[in-house]
Amino acid sequence: MADLSLVLVTPERTLFDKPVASIRVPLFDGSAGFYPGRAPLVGRLGLGELRLTDSSGAAESYFIDGGFVQVKGSVVSVLTNGATPVGEISRKAAAVKIDEAKANRAKSDEEFAVAARRLEKARKMLALAGKD
Amino acid sequence: MANRRLLVKRLKAVRNIRKITRTMELIATSRFKKAMDRAAEAAEYTRKISEIVGDLGRANLKFSHPLLEKRTEEKKSILLVLTSNRGLCGGYNASVLRQTVAHIRGLKEKGIEYSIEVSGKRGIKFMNFQKIAYAQSYTHFEDQPKFEEVEALAGRYVQDYIAGRIDRLDVAYTRFVSSSKQFAVVESLLPIASLGGTAGAKTEAEVDYEFLPSAQEILAEIVPAAFRAKLFKCFLDAAVSEQIARMVAMKGATENADEMAGSLKQQYNRARQAGITSELAEIIGGAAALE
Repeated sequence: MADLSLVLVTPERTLFDKPVASIRVPLFDGSAGFYPGRAPLVGRLGLGELRLTDSSGAAESYFIDGGFVQVKGSVVSVLTNGATPVGEISRKAAAVKIDEAKANRAKSDEEFAVAARRLEKARKMLALAGKD
Repeated sequence: MANRRLLVKRLKAVRNIRKITRTMELIATSRFKKAMDRAAEAAEYTRKISEIVGDLGRANLKFSHPLLEKRTEEKKSILLVLTSNRGLCGGYNASVLRQTVAHIRGLKEKGIEYSIEVSGKRGIKFMNFQKIAYAQSYTHFEDQPKFEEVEALAGRYVQDYIAGRIDRLDVAYTRFVSSSKQFAVVESLLPIASLGGTAGAKTEAEVDYEFLPSAQEILAEIVPAAFRAKLFKCFLDAAVSEQIARMVAMKGATENADEMAGSLKQQYNRARQAGITSELAEIIGGAAALE
């Protein structure tokens, strides 16, 4: 049991399907890491960074927008509404998104929930973009 | 000869049209391939979702979710009609709209209130012509519908359904079965009839999952996700079917143009030969008269 592979799918396409050494995903209440030999799990994802390292030790990051993770045998499947490689997120674009989210005045509870989610997403994107 | 010149003109026109239809056929073919690839990629997501649903099913869980409940009394419904923005695609739009009209008649008979939402310029034109009122119209879904756009729609439907503003959602679109078979259907998407994934999964070895936070909460999240994926699939199916319909229609048009050009060419040649013969006859006749 020394292998682990990640399948990252969005409704539009399969972004990643390769063997990896370790994976870290943002769960709904914090991060979770997977190494080979993880017991089966189904979990709800939150917003944040999905980080993976391949066998050579190189790391890759994606920003993912909620969804589910399923660990079954040696395959980790991540289903998410949207995934963007962190390298493609720019500080400026994220900052603009925060402003946009703040500019929208919510009038009902539903709208408020949507707006809060958008703001959180933009903030997390900015935090990630800041690293590089 | 006026007739001959007329034939040349028509021949040119037919050949030009043939060039256009041939090009459109090629474009439709390449778009169809792209749309098809996207649909295949999207199928992966749907498959995974139903796999997780299947896993949940084995976790001794009662499947209850507002989106799964069928209302005892259906009063209000939304009918979403997916047509294309462009024409020249054979019976594609007509068959969807025929289904739509039949469905509306059915709703009227049952006394269910309905509001119609149309996507695609051809559908909007039809509704205007038939004087059928529609609540919403969209023209931004092209041959590569984006998930974000569909998600916005899906989110609204889910909220409306949970809040009780609608009791059912139907979608009229062209379902894609294979590249040689597509047909227009009206499908009921809400309430969700089945999440799929339970059948065929039994053969697999039982896996004892750990659920985070809990199976119930994952279910609460995955039901809307399954609905979104389903609605997205409708849009993708419609896009693929549209390209196939256009491809077939344009292929037919190109063949017709070929045939027409052939017969025009033949007519032209006959007319030309007739002209030459009559000229010769005149000359011979003139020479005979001089002798």
